[in-house]
Amino acid sequence: MNVDNKKDIPWLCDKCKKELVLHKVKVRYLEGNFEVELLKCPECNMVFIDEELATGKMLEVEKGLEDK
Amino acid sequence: MDLDKLLEKSEGCIYDEPPACTSCCPVHMDIISFVSEMEKGEFDKAYKIMEKRVPFARIIGSICDHPCEEVCVRSDLGGAVKISELEKAAVSYGFSPPKKTIPIPKKKGRVAVIGGGISGMTAAFDLDKKGYEVTMYDKSNRLGGKLRSYVGRGLKKEVLEEELQALVKLGINVVLNTPVDKKRLEQLTGEYDAVYLGTGVWEEELPIHPQTFQVEDTSVFAGGKLANRNGSVILSASSGKRAATSIDRYIKRISMYASREREGSFETPLRYETDGIKPVRAVKKTSDIYNEDEAAREAGRCLKCRCRKCIEACSHLSGFDISPKSYMRQINQSERIILGTHYANKMINSCTMCGLCEEECFKGISMKDVIQETRESMVERGKMPVSAHDFALKDMKFSNSKRFSMVRKQPEGIKGPCQFTEKTEYLFYPGCQLPASYPEYIEGIYKYLVSNMKGGVGIYLGCCGAPADWAGRQDLMQESVEKIKKTWEDMGRPVFILACSSCCGIFEKYLPEITFVSLWKVFAQNGLPQNKKTSGNYVLSVHDACATRHNKEIHDSIRKIAALSGYTIQELKYSREKTKCCGYGGLVYYANSEQSEDFVKHRIEESDNDLLVYCAMCKDLLVDGGKRTFHILDLIFGDDLEGIALRKMPTLSDRHRNRAQLKVRLLREIWGEQPDMGLEKQSDYKITIPENVIRLMEDRYILMEDIEKVIDNAQKRSKRFFNPSEASYLARLRIDNVTYWVKYEEKGEGILVKSVYSHRMEIVEE
Repeated sequence: MNVDNKKDIPWLCDKCKKELVLHKVKVRYLEGNFEVELLKCPECNMVFIDEELATGKMLEVEKGLEDK
Repeated sequence: MDLDKLLEKSEGCIYDEPPACTSCCPVHMDIISFVSEMEKGEFDKAYKIMEKRVPFARIIGSICDHPCEEVCVRSDLGGAVKISELEKAAVSYGFSPPKKTIPIPKKKGRVAVIGGGISGMTAAFDLDKKGYEVTMYDKSNRLGGKLRSYVGRGLKKEVLEEELQALVKLGINVVLNTPVDKKRLEQLTGEYDAVYLGTGVWEEELPIHPQTFQVEDTSVFAGGKLANRNGSVILSASSGKRAATSIDRYIKRISMYASREREGSFETPLRYETDGIKPVRAVKKTSDIYNEDEAAREAGRCLKCRCRKCIEACSHLSGFDISPKSYMRQINQSERIILGTHYANKMINSCTMCGLCEEECFKGISMKDVIQETRESMVERGKMPVSAHDFALKDMKFSNSKRFSMVRKQPEGIKGPCQFTEKTEYLFYPGCQLPASYPEYIEGIYKYLVSNMKGGVGIYLGCCGAPADWAGRQDLMQESVEKIKKTWEDMGRPVFILACSSCCGIFEKYLPEITFVSLWKVFAQNGLPQNKKTSGNYVLSVHDACATRHNKEIHDSIRKIAALSGYTIQELKYSREKTKCCGYGGLVYYANSEQSEDFVKHRIEESDNDLLVYCAMCKDLLVDGGKRTFHILDLIFGDDLEGIALRKMPTLSDRHRNRAQLKVRLLREIWGEQPDMGLEKQSDYKITIPENVIRLMEDRYILMEDIEKVIDNAQKRSKRFFNPSEASYLARLRIDNVTYWVKYEEKGEGILVKSVYSHRMEIVEE
C-alpha cells in the first residue's frame, strides 16, 4: 500500500501551504494495524490518499481483512 | 450454527446421486461417463470407464444381461438407451490390452476358489489384486464354466481364452479335473484361510448371507448361481466381487458390514424430471453390432440424468455452478475456519434468499434457510464482511430516523366512509423503498384508503427491518420488531395495510400477532380509484415478488387489478410460488452487483412482453436492465405510461431526498403541520455534480449528503489539499466508519465536484 515516491505530486496542504512529504503512517482496519509510507503535510499531519490508492490497493486490503 | 445438522441436510441433496441405471447395475458401472465418451466417438476412453467397474469387461461387455436398461428413464421417451449394445461396440472399437502391472506380493493369506465360472474368476481376480495367494479348483479340464455356453452367442471364443490366460498369468494356481464335494470342502477349509464356492450347484441348501455371502459364520463364502439363484452373468460377477471383499474383511478380522450399504443393486434416491423432453427412438443396428456412427448417435439419446433443477432455475447457483450439496459443505468448511481466509463469504452474500430452490427441490431443501442461518452465524462470530451490507443498513437507519419515519392518525380534515373517530382501524405502512422510488403515489393511496376503508386509517412511515434480516443482523431486526410492535400497541392494534412484499414477509416471520392486509387486495376488492383503463389489447407478464411467493391472495389481486385496468396477462414460466427474484433480495444488489445483474438479465430473457411488478425494487432493477416494466401503481395512478415503462430508478441520494420530502409534504398537506425544517436541510453551497460523478456516487455508494458534509467541513476549516496547477481542492471527512474524499473546484459562487471516492481503512493522523 506504500506510495510510489517517484510520482510527482502536485498537491499542497491548503492550510499550511506546505509540500507533502512521504512518511510512515499508521493505518487500521478491523483486526489489522499497519504502518505504511504515505504522503502527508509535515506540519498538520493531514494524510493524502489519492483515488487510485483508495479504489485500488486499499480496497483490496480492506476486502482481504474482511474475509479473514 | 449446528454444523452436524447442516451436513445432514447436505446429504439430502440428490445432485450427486447415481442415475437409476448405475444404481441398478450390480457392479455400478458409471454409465453416464461411458455414454458421454461413446457419444464423442472416444471408444477407447469409454472402454476404460467400463473396465474400471466391470470385471472381465471384454467378456461381460459382450454378454451382459443389462438390468440397467429396464430402469432407464428414457424408456417412456422412445425406449431405453441400448446400453448393452453400446458396451458391445465399446468392446469392439475401444479395447486395448491392459498394461502389464507388477504383481503384488501375496502375503495376506491363502484362499481357495472353487468353480472356474464368472463368479469364481471375479473372486479370484479381486483376491489376487488384494494380495492373497489364490488357488482355483474346477471339476472339468478347463476354466470358464457356463461362460462357454455363450461362445457363438455374443462371446467370441478367442476373447474368453485370452481373458482366462490373462487370469492364469497373474500367478493364480489352477487345479483342474478336481471335483469338490462336501467332504473335500471341509479339508480345504482346514488348508486355506477362506474358501469361495462358485460351483453353480451344491449337494445341499447353503445358508448364504445376502450381503456378505458368508455361509453362517464359517470361512466359506458362496456366490454366483448358488447365491443369486438365477443365471445372470452380471449378478454372478457382482457376487464374486462382493464375496472377495467379505473374505478380505474376514481374514483381516474387520467389520463384515461397515459401509457396505450400497453394494449390489439399490434404488437411487435420484429423481429426474422428464417434462418437456421429446421422445427419440433408439438407433437401429445395420449389422450385428452398432457401427461407430450408430453407437455415437445411440449414446446421444442418454439423458445423463442428474438433478439440476434448482441450479437451472437460480442465477446464483448457476452463476457459481454449485449444487446445494457442495454449497453446504463449503459453508461447513468456512464456519470451521479459525485462522485463514473465508473464501465462501462472497458466495454466501450473493444468494438472494428468494426461496425458489426449495420450490424446485424434490427434497424440499431450502438454501434460503441455510443462508439465513449462516449469515446470522457470521454476524455473531464477527466474520461478516462489513462492506457487504453497510450501505443498506445505513439506509434502513435513515428510514427509521425522524427524517422519514412518522406515525399519524387520520386527520379530522379528510372524511372516510364513516364519521371521523379517534380509533385507528387501519395503519397504512408503505415501507421504505416504495416511497423512495414512487413518492408521488403515496398521497393518492392514502386518500384512497381513507375514503374506502370503514374506520380510521392512519399512516406509518418507516422500514420493516428486511435489510437487517437479510444481513443476518438479528440485533437490529429485533429492535425494528419491537418498535413496530410498540407503535401497533400505541395505535390500538390496527390492521396494517402493506404495500411492499418484503414487509409482508417480515410481518409473517416476526410479527404474527399483527393482522395485515395487502394494499393490492384492498384495490382488488374495493375497485380502482381512477378510470385509467387501457383501450388497446395490451399483454403483460407478471413478475411476482419473491417475498410473497406463497401468498396466493396477492398473486390473484394483482391479476385482478390488471384485468380491471384492461390488460391481458400471459404467465411466465416462473411465476406465483415459483417466481424468480429480480436480484435485489438478500441485499445482493449491494454485496455483489454483478450477480444481481445476472438475475435481471435471466429474468428479462424469459419473455418479450412488458412486465408487471408490485415491488418497487423489482421495477427499478428490471428497468435498469433495459426492460419495459410497470409497477402495479403505474396502472392505477400513472399518467404517461410510455414514459413510466422505462423510467430509470432515482439515484441513491434521490431515494433519501424523496423519502424526506414525502414526510414533509404529507405533514404539510394532509395534517396541516409545519414540520421542522431540519428535515429538509439545504447545503450552504451551490454544489454542481456532473453526470460522470453521479455515476461514481452510485457505484461507490456515496450520497449527496456525504459530499455536502465533506465540502462544508473543508470550506469552513480549510482542511483540504490544494493543487495549484489545476486550481482544485481535495478534501476528506470521516463519517461513521467511512472516509469520504471529494475533489472539487470553486466556480464563482458555487462548487463543481470533479470526483468522489471513499475508503473504510482508518488513517491515524498524529
